[in-house]
Amino acid sequence: MKKLLKSRNTGLILVLVLLLVVARIVTPGMFSVMSMMNMLQNNAVYALLAVGEMMVILTGGIDISIASQLAFVGITTTTLSTANPDVPGFVWVITALLLGIICGAINGFLVGYLHMVPMICTLGTMYIFRGLAFVVSEGQWWFAAHYLDSYRFWAIGKICGIPMIIIWAVVIMVLLGLFLGYTAPGRRIYAIGTSRESSAVAGVKEAKVTFYAFVICGALAGLAGMLYTANYAIGYYGMGEGFEMTAIAICVLGGVSINGGKGRMDGVAIGMLIMAVVTYFISMIPGMSVWQKALQGSIIIVAVAINYFTERSAEKQALKERGALI
Amino acid sequence: MPGSNYDRDLTVKEGFKLSKFLIKWEMILVYILVVLNLILAIFRTDLYFTSGTVQSIINSGLDVSPMVLGMVFILLLGDIDVSVAAQMILGGMVTGLCMDAGVPWLICVILGIITCMLCGAFNGFCVAFLKMPAVITTISTSMLFRGIVEIVLGENSLKNFPKWYNAIGWKNIGGILPISMVLFLLMGVVFVFVLHRTSFGRRVYIVGNNPVCAEYSGISVKKVKMQVFILMGFMAGIGSIFFIGRMGGGVSSSMGTGYEMTAIACAVLGGVSTNGGKGKMYGPIIATFIMAFLTYTLGLLGVDPNTKKIFTGVILIVTILISTINKQMIKDIKLRLLYHNNKNIEAINDRTAEAVKEMKQQIKELQKGNASDKDAQIRKLNEKIAAAQKECAEKSAKWWAEQQEDAKKAKERFEK
Repeated sequence: MKKLLKSRNTGLILVLVLLLVVARIVTPGMFSVMSMMNMLQNNAVYALLAVGEMMVILTGGIDISIASQLAFVGITTTTLSTANPDVPGFVWVITALLLGIICGAINGFLVGYLHMVPMICTLGTMYIFRGLAFVVSEGQWWFAAHYLDSYRFWAIGKICGIPMIIIWAVVIMVLLGLFLGYTAPGRRIYAIGTSRESSAVAGVKEAKVTFYAFVICGALAGLAGMLYTANYAIGYYGMGEGFEMTAIAICVLGGVSINGGKGRMDGVAIGMLIMAVVTYFISMIPGMSVWQKALQGSIIIVAVAINYFTERSAEKQALKERGALI
Repeated sequence: MPGSNYDRDLTVKEGFKLSKFLIKWEMILVYILVVLNLILAIFRTDLYFTSGTVQSIINSGLDVSPMVLGMVFILLLGDIDVSVAAQMILGGMVTGLCMDAGVPWLICVILGIITCMLCGAFNGFCVAFLKMPAVITTISTSMLFRGIVEIVLGENSLKNFPKWYNAIGWKNIGGILPISMVLFLLMGVVFVFVLHRTSFGRRVYIVGNNPVCAEYSGISVKKVKMQVFILMGFMAGIGSIFFIGRMGGGVSSSMGTGYEMTAIACAVLGGVSTNGGKGKMYGPIIATFIMAFLTYTLGLLGVDPNTKKIFTGVILIVTILISTINKQMIKDIKLRLLYHNNKNIEAINDRTAEAVKEMKQQIKELQKGNASDKDAQIRKLNEKIAAAQKECAEKSAKWWAEQQEDAKKAKERFEK
C-alpha cells in the first residue's frame, strides 16, 4: 500500500481522473463511448511514436527525426498503394515496417557504431527524411478519394467495434512492455541507459543495443506513418511536423528519465492518456486552440522538473538510509 | 630578483607551420567557400558577375548569423538551445507591440532584446540550477515561447517596425558592402576576442570540457551556464532585428521555424564539437557564409527548397563524421580489419613500419652525401629492409595461425 502511494503512476492516474472530472463539468458531451473512441483513435499514432521514442530515450539518446520518418514512410506507402490498387493491404503494412526499419537502421548505425551525438545525428536525418518525403511525393497532396479501402482498413476497419489503429497501439504497447521488462535484450536497453561503463564491463555491446533501439523506434515510426495516412486519408510531405515533440512530451510525462535508464511502459500509457485528454479537452472549448502549444510546452517543463525533484528526494532518502545503517 | 622562477618565460610558442595551417579545419572551410563560388561562377556566369548578386547571396544568408555566434558558446558548454528561433520571434513581437503602442523606437528595440534575455535566463535557470537536460528544456521552452506568440498574435501579423530594420536586411554600404555583413563581422571580432582572449571565454572552455574539474578549480559552473544562456538570449534579440529586417518588417507566429537548426548546423559545420569544450570562433563565422552560398547556389541550380533539406542534412552528418576521424579511430579499424584483432601482430607491424621508415630516411641521406662506399651501404640497407619486412610477414602469419588454432581448440572444448 505504501509502495502504491509512493509510485509515480498513482499521481498520474489522480491527475487523469481530475482532468476527466473537470472535462465532465465543462463539456458534458465528452463522455459518450463514441467520443472517447474518437479521442483514442486520434491519439493512437502518438502512442506508437511515443513507444518508439521511449526505446531511444531509455538508452540515453534522443530521436527527433521520427516525425520526418513518419512523413517519408507514409508518403511512400501512399504513392505505392495508389499506383498498385490490386495489391492486398497487408503488403503496405509490411512495406511501412521495412522502410521504417531502414530509416531507424541509418540512425542506429550513425549513433551506435560511428558514435555521433544522437541529437545532432537525428537533426541531420530529420532534414534528409523530410527532403526525401518531398522527392517521393513531388509536392503532391493525396485526399480521401485517392485512398483504397484495403489500405485504409488497417487503421479504420473495426473489429468488435474497436478501430484497428487502437488495436495496433495496444498490442504493440503490451508486446514492447513485455520485451522491455522480461527479456534480456530489453533489460540491456535499460542497462546501457543507466551506466555505459558498467554495462560494457558486464559484456553488453553498447553499439548493438543502441542500434536495435533505434531500429525499433524507426519501425514504429514507419508503421505510424502508414497508419496516419490510412486513418486520416490525407498525405503530403509536410505532415506530422512537431509530432516528435509530442512523443517526447508523452515519454517525459510518463516518467521516462531523459538521461536514460528509467521509465516503464505503464507510465507511458498513462502519460499518453493524459496528453490525449488534454488535447481533446482543448479542442472542445472554442478559442482555446491557440493555447495548445504553450500548454504542451509548460506541461513538459513541469513534468521534467517533477521528475528531477522526485529523483533527488529518492537519492536523499537512499543516502539517509545508508547513513542510518552505518 | 633576476633568475628566479618568476622571470621565466612560461609561454608555449608553437612555430608557425604552413603545412599544418593549410589543413586546419578553418582553411578547409575557406576552400569549400571558394569551390562554391567557382561552381556558381562557372554555371551561372551571367548572374555571378552582375553587380549585386554576391551581395544578395550574403544578405540572404546572414539573417541567422547573430544566433550562430551565441550558439557557439552554448555548444562549447556541451549544451544545446533549440528555442532560439522562438525567442527571436517573441522578442520581435514585443518590439512590434511596443511600436504599435507608440513607444519611441529605441526603447522598443531594447525591450525586445530584454525579453529575449529573460527567455535565455529562464532556460539558463532550468539548465544550471534545476539541472534539467538542455535538449528537453529548450524543446519545451521553444513550444512555450512560440505558444505565447500564438496566443497574443493569433493569425495577425505585426507590420510596424523601425525603418532601419529593412536596411540591415537589404541595403549595401556604397552599393558594395552589405550592412549585415559589416555588422556580422564586427560582432564576430568582438566574440572572437571574448572567447579567445578573456577569462570568461576560457571558463566556458573549462566548463565544457569537464564541469566537475571546473567546479573544483573554483569556477561557478552554474554562473557560467547562466551567463552563456543569457548571452544566447541577447544574440537572439539581435537576431530578431536581422530577421525582421530580412523579412521586410513583419512578424507572425509561424515565421522562422527551423532557424534554430540552421544556427546549430552552421556552428557544427564550423568545427564546434557538440560534446562541448572543442571548437573555435573563426570556423562558424566562415561556415555561416558557406551556408548562405550553399543554399543560394542550390537554388540557382534549380534545386527546390525541400530537396535542399537533403543536402543540408547530408552535409551536417558528413562534416561531423569527418571531424570525428582521428588517429585512434584509424588504428582501431586497422586492428580489426588487417590484424585480426591481434595486438601482437599490430605491434610487430607498427615496429617494422617504423624501422623501415628510419632506414629509408638513412638511404635518402646517403644518396645526398658523398661517402665513398655509398652504393654498398645503400644495398646493405635495402637488404635489411627486405629482411625486416619478410620477418614481420612470417611472424604475423604464424601468430594468426596460432590464434586460429587456439580459437578452434577453445570451440572444441566448449562443444564437449
